[in-house]
Amino acid sequence: MNMNRGPFQAVIESKEQISPSTYMLTLQKPEGFVEAMPGQFVSIKIGDSTSPLLRRPFSIMDSTPGSLLLLVKDVGPGTSYIVSRKPSQTLDLIGPLGETYFDIPSGEDAVFVAGGTGLAPLVFTARKWAKDHRIGISHFLYGASTERELLTGICREDFTYVHVATLDGSEGFEGDVVKMFNVLREKGALPERYLFSCGPAGMVKKLMEGGTENFKSHQTSLETVMACGVGACRGCVVPLKSSGAPVYRAVCSEGTVFEADDIDWENWRE
Amino acid sequence: MAQLEIRIGNVTLKNPVILASGPAGYGAEYADFIGLEKLGAVVTKTISLNPKAGNSGRRLLETPSGLLNSVGLENVGADLFFGEKLPRLLELGAKPIVSLACEGREDYLKLLETVSGNDTVDMVELNLSCPNVDCGGMAVGTSPELLNWYVSSARQILPGRALLAKLTPNVGDIAGLAEVCQDAGADGVTAINTLLGMDIDPDTGKPIFDRVVAGLSGPAIMPVALRAVYEISSRVRIPVLGSGGITSVTDARKFLAAGAAGIQIGTAIFYDPGLPERIISAVTGAQQGKE
Repeated sequence: MNMNRGPFQAVIESKEQISPSTYMLTLQKPEGFVEAMPGQFVSIKIGDSTSPLLRRPFSIMDSTPGSLLLLVKDVGPGTSYIVSRKPSQTLDLIGPLGETYFDIPSGEDAVFVAGGTGLAPLVFTARKWAKDHRIGISHFLYGASTERELLTGICREDFTYVHVATLDGSEGFEGDVVKMFNVLREKGALPERYLFSCGPAGMVKKLMEGGTENFKSHQTSLETVMACGVGACRGCVVPLKSSGAPVYRAVCSEGTVFEADDIDWENWRE
Repeated sequence: MAQLEIRIGNVTLKNPVILASGPAGYGAEYADFIGLEKLGAVVTKTISLNPKAGNSGRRLLETPSGLLNSVGLENVGADLFFGEKLPRLLELGAKPIVSLACEGREDYLKLLETVSGNDTVDMVELNLSCPNVDCGGMAVGTSPELLNWYVSSARQILPGRALLAKLTPNVGDIAGLAEVCQDAGADGVTAINTLLGMDIDPDTGKPIFDRVVAGLSGPAIMPVALRAVYEISSRVRIPVLGSGGITSVTDARKFLAAGAAGIQIGTAIFYDPGLPERIISAVTGAQQGKE
C-alpha cells in the first residue's frame, strides 16, 4: 500500500553549469522511483552535518525512464553543497513529493511564465504534455537580470515560442518578464486561455495585477521553505482567500500547484 | 529475548523509540518513509477540542543546527482526529499516544471527556507548553498550580489510561515541575518541548515571526534536553522520556544513560527518516550483547 519515496541514494550522472550561478544536474533515476508528475519535487539532504539542517526542495525538470533532471541555483550553503557534488557521487533524496500537478484540457494552447529556477517545473510540464500530444501552441516567457543568467538555452525546443526579457536589455525585451507579458498580451500575441507560472511570489503577484483575468485558468507552482515535505509539520503553509476563519494549505503536500486566484497573496510570506 | 519493552502506567510499549509530537503530523504522512509499526509509539500532533488554523505569517526558520517554528498548533480538531486521523494511524499498525492541548480550562475538560469516550486511546501526552488564555498567555507548564490542575484533571477523567506530561524547558526548575506532575498523578514525563527563541530582520528591525517568539528544536537544543532528563530522572520515580535534538544512535544512548526510559525523535526525521529504525536496531543489538 505504501509507495517507495526514499530516501534514495541517487547517483549524479552529469553536472552542467548553465549560467554563472545555476547548474543542471542529471541524476540516475533511483530504482523504484515512482513516476513523477509536472509540479512535483524532490527533497535533497545536505550532507551529514547538521548545519545546514533541513533538506532542500527542487522541482523536477524532467523525468525520463533512466534519469531525473534538476535545476540548482547556488544561493547558500545548502545549494552550495549540492552543486559541489561531482558526477558518480550521490545525493540523498526523497520524492516525488507534492500532490497537485499542472493540468490542461487536451489540445489547448498554453502560456508559461517563469523567473529564475521557476523554469524547471514548466519545462517538465511542456515536455510531458508534448509527449502525450496534449498541448497545442505554447508560449514560454522567461526573464533574467542579464543575458548571462538566461536559462532558456536548455529548453528552446520545448515550446512553440520562447520570449526572453532581460532587465539590462542585453538580450530580448528590455525589462522584466511581467512587463513583457503585458506588452505581448496587449498586442494580442498570447492565447489567453491557460496560464502556468512559477517564480518568486513577487513575480506572480505582479503578473496578476497586470491582468490575467481573461485567462480561463492560471495555475502557479509555489516555492517556499519547507521542513518535512510531506504535509506533516504544517510549516510551509500558504494562506487562501477566505471570508471567515483563516485557511492554510501546505505547499508541499496540498500543492505545489494552486489556482493563483485562490491564494491570499497579501498575507503570504514565502 | 532482549528486554526492550518499557512500561508507562498500565501500558507497555514494545521498545523505547517514539516519534515526538509535531514533526510527524498524524503519523500517516510519514508511512512511506518510516515503518511506524516498528516503533514503540507515535505521539500525534497536538489535538485541540476545535480545529485550529495555526499561526499567520512565516512559520519556519532554520538556525545553525536548529529550527525555529511558529506553527501554532494547527490541527484538525478532536472530531476529525478521532473520526479519521486516529483510525488511520491504528490501521498502519502504529501504537498511538495522543497529544492533547492544554488550553482554556473548559475546552480542555471537554477534550478529556472526548478522549474518555474513545477506547482505542490508552495513552495521552499533555502538551503543557500551550499558552494559557486564562492566564495572559503564559505557558501552563511554567506554573506549579496550573500544572497540578491540568494533570490532576486528566488523571481524574482518564483513570486507568497512561498519562504523560510534556514539560517546557522555559522554566527555572524543570525537575521540580516534574515532581508536581508526578504528585498530580502523571505516569511519566516527556522532557523537553521547544526552547523559546526569536529572530529579527535587521533591515526592518522587526521580528520575523508574527507571534514574535517561536520554538527552537533540533540538534542545537540536545545538551539542554540531556541536562533536563538527567536532573528529572534523579528526582522522580516515574519514567522519563527524553526528547530534544536527538540526531544519532549516540545521542539516544546518552539519553538512556542520563536516566531516560525511552526517547522521542522529532526534528531529525525531516532530514533523516531512517533514524528511528536505526536506533531500534542499535538498542536491540546492545541488549542482545548483554545477554
